[in-house]
Amino acid sequence: MRALPLVLAALRRLAGSLGLLVGASFIIYMTVRLAPGDVVDAISPMGTPPEVKAQLAAEFGLDRDPVTGYAAWLGRSAVGDFGESLAFSPGESVMEVAVPAFKRTLTLCGLTLFAGLTIALGLAVLLGEPRPRQQLFTAPAYVLTSTPSFVVAVLFAQGMNWLIHAYVEGGGFETPIWYPIPIYADSIMPYVFAGFAMLAGDGLFMDWFNTLRAELLGLRQAQFITAIRAKGARTTGHLARNLLVPIVSSFAARLPLVLGSVVIVEYIFTLDGAGYVLLEASRLRDFPMVVGLSVLFTATIIAVGLAADLIRALVDPREVARGG
Amino acid sequence: MNDRLLRCLLALGAIAGLVQPALAQDDQVFRYPEDTRPASLLPFFAEDMTSVRMVELIFDSLVFINKRGDVEGALATSWKVDDDQQGISFVLREGVKWHDGQPFTADDVVFTVRAARDPKTIFNARSKFNFIKDAEAQGQFGVRVSFNRPVNEAERRFLFKILPQHAFGGSTAISRKDKFARQPIGTGPYKLDKFSLRSVDLVANPDYWAPAKIGQVMMQHTPDKAAQVNLLQYSGGQAGVQAVIFLQPKNIPLFENSDTVVLEPYHTVSWWYMAYNHKNGALADLPVREAIALAINREELLAAHLGRGDTLSGPFTESSPFYNFQVEGREPDLERARQLLEDAGYKAKGGARQKGKNKLKFKFVMDKELASGQELFLGIQAQLKKIGVDVDAEYVDHARYREQVFTKGSFDLTMNVWSFEEVEDVYPLFHSTGVMNFIGYKNKDVDALLDAAQATKDYKKYKELMKELHAKLNEDLPYFFLWSLDVYSGLSKKLKNVFIQPYYYFTSFDEWELKP
Repeated sequence: MRALPLVLAALRRLAGSLGLLVGASFIIYMTVRLAPGDVVDAISPMGTPPEVKAQLAAEFGLDRDPVTGYAAWLGRSAVGDFGESLAFSPGESVMEVAVPAFKRTLTLCGLTLFAGLTIALGLAVLLGEPRPRQQLFTAPAYVLTSTPSFVVAVLFAQGMNWLIHAYVEGGGFETPIWYPIPIYADSIMPYVFAGFAMLAGDGLFMDWFNTLRAELLGLRQAQFITAIRAKGARTTGHLARNLLVPIVSSFAARLPLVLGSVVIVEYIFTLDGAGYVLLEASRLRDFPMVVGLSVLFTATIIAVGLAADLIRALVDPREVARGG
Repeated sequence: MNDRLLRCLLALGAIAGLVQPALAQDDQVFRYPEDTRPASLLPFFAEDMTSVRMVELIFDSLVFINKRGDVEGALATSWKVDDDQQGISFVLREGVKWHDGQPFTADDVVFTVRAARDPKTIFNARSKFNFIKDAEAQGQFGVRVSFNRPVNEAERRFLFKILPQHAFGGSTAISRKDKFARQPIGTGPYKLDKFSLRSVDLVANPDYWAPAKIGQVMMQHTPDKAAQVNLLQYSGGQAGVQAVIFLQPKNIPLFENSDTVVLEPYHTVSWWYMAYNHKNGALADLPVREAIALAINREELLAAHLGRGDTLSGPFTESSPFYNFQVEGREPDLERARQLLEDAGYKAKGGARQKGKNKLKFKFVMDKELASGQELFLGIQAQLKKIGVDVDAEYVDHARYREQVFTKGSFDLTMNVWSFEEVEDVYPLFHSTGVMNFIGYKNKDVDALLDAAQATKDYKKYKELMKELHAKLNEDLPYFFLWSLDVYSGLSKKLKNVFIQPYYYFTSFDEWELKP
């Protein structure tokens, strides 16, 4: 019986999310399609007769008005066909190019968030209440965190190259495989560095650390925890369960930030992820690729938000009662 | 206690993450970065320089230009031009194989020519094939190509890459979406190993008639110029690069006294220009164009923003056989510029100029991808302000620039670069019917010169006509010809036997060596 309200709430949210996704896809499609400069102009030689340009436009599906074009696109995308790339990888299906790249980006973002969460939570547990000596750590962290992630990425790359060069020249150690940055060698290090830049910049890590520390301190002082401790029982499980809601909420809230910064960070570290593809496709006016990837990004954010809501509802049934 | 433990853990983690065992370096891999991703490895659609350079490694042409500037055979071993210069016959190299093992024959040459002439094959360089009437095979290893008109030095027009007929199912209508663009099959010194999202890996073709000495080539799309410089500067690393194609002037001092990098000139046969829109009433007036040209100090702009180069007086680089050294470039002369505008009726009024109610104010459209574009515009804006001409900038991205300037002509002034292959063919730019005459320029004398040059069979006469054209265009100012730059590549000193081909770069790459 308890499950029914949850299932109904989940179905309501799912329906709402699908509606949100369709609405977002419409806005994305129209914005890209109506942007100045199109791929036909970009690829056809100067002096191309209008009838030939019309032929190319028909070949690329640009001869339809935008609304009809969107309807056709929606019908195809419902069965997983986002069309063909026009300029980034001409002739290749958007899904064939976008999905593997998107998986790499999601893995990077997911591991960055997970690592950030683990470190933030660990530090929150270890450091406990704020103390003056901790400013040795928090002060420089605040400086770093107020810097945009792409600036952190550039400064980190330059600084690391200079440092390694100095050590190698001085006979300090052998040249690492991942040097210099950006890195061509087959190595995990560019992903580690990219993750560090996204975590350190844009306020992501410190914001998370402060939120979790405040939640943890609040929980430790809560009456029900005091009561459990007084009865001689362990509080870890209760603390963990109650921390789950803010953790899941903040994970879902920070994903859009990370997905936004990954576009530039991938460019800087020459990673072949969806952010890189999106930037290049935008430059080339490859609108099927831009629309396809943008919708994938949007769908991911919506899906993670939905999952976060469901987890919150499972952990805290009061969410369902409140109509969440 | 917690703080001490934390500090230890952090330090250990940092050290563990940084130190990894170094692997043995592969000395036979040439790595280099490119600014843009290759749009297509199908030669017809290789319209960006990254693709041009890659295609140079994968494909062959019938002939190529060697280090001495002479035409030398590649897929052709000899040729004979008809007496009336309206055709050419090639004898082809025997025993050449495509990268998939199929034999190269005359049918491939005929196919390539017919595909280029097919109206359904739409690509930027189509006009270069307009002189060809048809091609026909003469046996397995002979081809005759007939022309629509007499052509001077016809063999120099056959630098285009040959395509395999068998890869296209016999259809001469080639689409840029064809999978061949990602899976090319050539006869060149390198064949494609992998074309991933942002890198292209090539391996040496063991069957090539002049086998390459470097085993592999790896190109990586690295759009950030600073990152490219990093990769070259720290190229002692495992993953460093051996070349940067274009070094920005500001980075050249980094390598001038380098132990590991040498600067090599890369002649690009390109020149910068500022174009006037001749459909604008004021700019259609020669005195106004002249006044603007006299106000701009090119040497100052060049030195401040782009480094070394030569200011030009016409539509050719100084190394071109058509450059007319008798024609002097305009030196800045603000007094004369102001006088020309006064005489044209544009009176000075409160720092600006007006003719009746029309102010002398122009829209200057700039491509955001043009190097140092913003700084150059600000310099030009300040210089033109001194004679009372106002210009406002509109910075647009490349795709929008093409639409706005080249297609719609929605600009008053613009600045850009034209790049040519071997020799500048300026007919499309300045003839009133030219397909690249986006400025709306019309001059009967210029048309007559261009038509006469195209019709003549005599190369000496052709050169004279081009020099006369140079003088005429300098006088009439369809563009204000700015400069050609001294461009440098940064190359690792481990590279030996290097020769950088103008424009194509890698024509002689099979002779390059990479020493440990």
